[in-house]
Amino acid sequence: MSGVETMTTPARRQLDANRLLTLVCVGLPLLGLVLFFLYPMVVVFLRSLTVDDGYGLANYTRVLGSTGFWRATEHSLLMGAATTVLSVFLGFIIAHGLYRCAFPGKWLIRGVIVLPLLAPSLVQALGLIFLLGRNGVISRALGVEIDIYGFWGLLIANTLYALPQAVMIIGAALVLLDARVYEAAEVMGASPSRQFRDLTLPAARFGILNAAFVCFTITITDFGNAAVIGGDYSVLATEIYSQVVGQRNFNMGAVVGIMLLLPTVVSYAIERQAMKRQQVGQVTGQVPYRPSFAAVRDPVMASLSLLICAGIVAVIGIVVYASFVTLWPYNMALSFKHYDITLAGGYSSLWMTIVISLMAATGGTLAVFLLCLGLRRLPRSAAQSIQMLAAVPAAVPGMVLGLAYILTFNSTATPLYLLYGTAALIAIVNFYHYHTQGFLTVMTGFRQLPKALEEAADSLGAGMARTAVDIIAPFIAPMLVSVFFFLFMRSMVTLSAVVFLTTPDLSVAAVTIMRLDDAGLTSQAAAFATCLMAVVCVALLGMKATLTLMGRRNRIKRPV
Amino acid sequence: MKTWSKFTLASLFAVGMATTASADEITVYTALEEEEIAAYVEAAQEAMPDTEINVLRLSTGKLGARLLAEAGNPQADVIWGWAVSAMMDPQILEMLEPYAAKGVDVLPATFRGEDGKWFAPIGYMGAFCVNTARLEEKGLPMPKSWKDLENPDFKGEILMPDPNSSGTGYLHVNAVLQTMGEEAGWAQLEAVDPNMAQYTSSGSKPCKSARVGEYTVGISLAFTAMQSIEEGYPLAMVFPEEGVGYELEASGLMASSDNKDAAKAFLDWTMSDEAIDLYQQYKALITVPGVDASEAAEKAGLPADISTVLADIDFVTAAKNQTDVKATWKEKLGR
Repeated sequence: MSGVETMTTPARRQLDANRLLTLVCVGLPLLGLVLFFLYPMVVVFLRSLTVDDGYGLANYTRVLGSTGFWRATEHSLLMGAATTVLSVFLGFIIAHGLYRCAFPGKWLIRGVIVLPLLAPSLVQALGLIFLLGRNGVISRALGVEIDIYGFWGLLIANTLYALPQAVMIIGAALVLLDARVYEAAEVMGASPSRQFRDLTLPAARFGILNAAFVCFTITITDFGNAAVIGGDYSVLATEIYSQVVGQRNFNMGAVVGIMLLLPTVVSYAIERQAMKRQQVGQVTGQVPYRPSFAAVRDPVMASLSLLICAGIVAVIGIVVYASFVTLWPYNMALSFKHYDITLAGGYSSLWMTIVISLMAATGGTLAVFLLCLGLRRLPRSAAQSIQMLAAVPAAVPGMVLGLAYILTFNSTATPLYLLYGTAALIAIVNFYHYHTQGFLTVMTGFRQLPKALEEAADSLGAGMARTAVDIIAPFIAPMLVSVFFFLFMRSMVTLSAVVFLTTPDLSVAAVTIMRLDDAGLTSQAAAFATCLMAVVCVALLGMKATLTLMGRRNRIKRPV
Repeated sequence: MKTWSKFTLASLFAVGMATTASADEITVYTALEEEEIAAYVEAAQEAMPDTEINVLRLSTGKLGARLLAEAGNPQADVIWGWAVSAMMDPQILEMLEPYAAKGVDVLPATFRGEDGKWFAPIGYMGAFCVNTARLEEKGLPMPKSWKDLENPDFKGEILMPDPNSSGTGYLHVNAVLQTMGEEAGWAQLEAVDPNMAQYTSSGSKPCKSARVGEYTVGISLAFTAMQSIEEGYPLAMVFPEEGVGYELEASGLMASSDNKDAAKAFLDWTMSDEAIDLYQQYKALITVPGVDASEAAEKAGLPADISTVLADIDFVTAAKNQTDVKATWKEKLGR
C-alpha cells in the first residue's frame, strides 16, 4: 500500500491494474477457502445445532455437562501446550543449526527432519511401539518394561509429527535474515550471544509464534497418535471418534468439532496481538547470510540436531527393518514375504496417489502464494479476517473435515456435487486440511521481504504482476518449495479425511495401508508403507533435482 | 485452480464412461474381511456377469459414519455383511427397504429383521487373544474365563476395546451382561477393570498388541486371533467359559438404490448354495440351519460344534439397550 500514496496521474492506469490484480490474487484463493472450508464447516456447525425437533443448543449443553468432555479438554490443552513447547524448542535448535550455524552434513539433517511428514501414521505408531513399547527393543535391552502408553508416549509421538512443521516455519523466518546487519553488529563488537538475543530472536519471533500456533493446533486435533499410543489419556479428538464412529452420533461429534475451533481461534488472536509490536520486514535489500564456524556453538548445535535426527531415523527405520522380518519380534529371520501384497487392491493405489498429491501441491502452493501476495496490498482490517480464515483449517480434525465434505458435496443441491467421488475432491481436501501450515510458512517468508524492494519496483513503474514474478517470487521461492514438498508429502500419506472420500474405483495409498492393517496384516501394511515412503523419496529427489537444474539455468542465487 | 477444474472434467468424463461401459452396476458397502470379500465377489461376479459389482470395504465403525454422512444422497445400493447391532440403529434402518432375498426363509427368525430389512446368514465371534510367550515369561496361568481375569497377577496385562468407540467392545460387554444378568455382569466388568491396562478405540488392536508381546491378554476378535496364529505368533485363542459374545453380519437393500434389480440379485446370491459353500470355507459362524462350519472352524482350531462356546445373545435387546449400556459403562468404567 505504501507505494500508492505517492502515485501520480500517469500511473493511474497502472494503479487500476494493480487493484484488479490484488482482487484476483485474494479473490480466487478466498473463493476456494469459502467453498471448500468455510461452507463445509457451516454445515458441521448446523449439525451441531440439530436436535430432534429442529435447531437448538441441547447438544452443547449435553456435551458441556459431561465430565468426560472436560477431562478430555484438560488433557488436550495440556498435551497441546507440552508438545508446542517441546517442538518449538527443538525446532528452533534445528532451524537455527541449519540456517545460522556452520557445520557439515546439513543435507542429512534437512533430509531426515522431513521423514515424519512422509511417514504414514501407522509407521510412526509401530515404530514407537517396536522401539519404546513394553516389549520393544529398548525395554528388552534394558531388561525393564518402559510403559510409554499415556502422556509421555503421546508427547513423543505428537512432537515427532509437529517438529518438521516447526522447523519449516521457523526456518522460513531464519533463512532470509540479512547478513549485513550481523556484520554491522560484529563491527560494533556485539558478542555472539548478544547478536542472537537482539538480532536473531526478534527476527524469528513471527516464525516462532506461527510455529507454536501450528504445533498447538495440530496436536489438539490429532486422533491417530492418541489412539495408538495415548493409552487411556483421552483427548478431544478421541471424544469425536467415540461419538461419530463408535456411537454414530453425528450431532454430538459436530459439537466437539466446533468446540475444538475455540482454543485455536483464541491462540491465533493471542498470536496476532503479540505480533503487533513487531516491526515489519526489513528495510533494505539483502545479502545472504553465510554462517562462519563458531567453535563452541556449532559442534553443540550439530550434535543436538543429529541426536534428534537419530531418534527420527530409529523410529522409522525400525519399521522399515521390521517389514523385512519374518515375524516381528519372534522370528527375526529376514524375508521378502510381506512385500507380496495381493489383498486390498495391492500396489495399484500408489500411482493415483501421486497424481492426487501433485495436484494438491501445485494448486495449493499457487493458491497460498497468491493469497499472501494479495493480502499484503489489502487494507489491514480486510486482511485480518481473511488471515484468520486462512489460519484456521488446521483446527479441524481430518475426520471432521472428511465427513463435512460428504455432507456438503454429496448433495445434488449445488453443482459442486460434480466433484463428489472424484480425485479432484481428494486433492482439494488434502490441500485445505494442511492450508494453515502452507499459508503460515509463506506468510512468515513474506514477513522477511523488504518493503523497500517492492516500493522500489513500484516507483520504477513495474506493475504488481511484474513485481510478483520478478522480485517477490524469487525471494519467496525457498518457502514455496518447502510448502510444495510439504503438501506433496502429506497428501501422499494422510488418511483421516481421505478415508471417507474414497470410492470403490478410487482409492489412495494410505487407505490401502489401513485396509491391510485392518485385515490383521500389519507387516504387509508396513511393507506397503515402506514402498510408499520410497516412492515419495524418489519423487522428492527428482523434483529437487529439477529445481536445482532450473535454478542453475536462471542463475537465481538463494541462501538455501 | 485451473488444473483442478481440468482434472475434474477429466475424471467426470471417466466416471461417465464407466457407467455406460457395463449394462448394470451396483455399489456394495461392506465390513467383511478382505480375503473373503475377494473370494465372494469373484464368485458372485461369475454368477451375475452382466452386473459390475463395486465394493467399498471399511471397518464397521467407519462404514457407519460414512453411511450416515451420505444419508442425504446415499451412494450404496447394498449393505453387505455389516454388524447387526449397527444395522439396527434407527438412523440406518430408515435407509433400508424390506426385501426377502431368495432362500432367506430358511434362516431362523432371530437372524432376520422383523421388518424384513436385514438378514444375516453369517457372523463373527469375539475371543481372548493370549500371548503364550508372555504368559510363560510372567508366570501367569492360562485364563479360561472372565472370572480368571480378576486375578490381580494380571494387573496391567489386559486390553479391551472401549464399547463407546468400538463395536467389538460392545459385543463383549453385552455378552457379559446378557449371560450373567445386569447386576452380576456389571460386577464382573468392574472386577476386571483394575487389571485393564487400556480401553482401546479399535476392536482388533487388543489382539494385535497382545500378539507382538506388548500385553498378555487382548480381549478382541476370533478372526484376528486365528489370522495371527496362522501367521505364527505365539498366541492362543480362548473363549471365556461364561460364553463368548458374537455378532451377526447382516445385509440389506438400500431404499435409495436406482438399480434395485441388480441389487436384489446380489442379495439373492448371498443366500445361494454357492455362497453358503464359500461361507463354509471362510466363516466359523454360519446361521443357516443344517450347514455346519466345521471345515473353517477346524482349520482355525475351533470346537466342531461352535454353539457350545457362544453366549446366548438376544440381538434385539442388545440393540435396544445399546445407548443405555454405553452410557452406564462410561459412568462406571470410563477413563
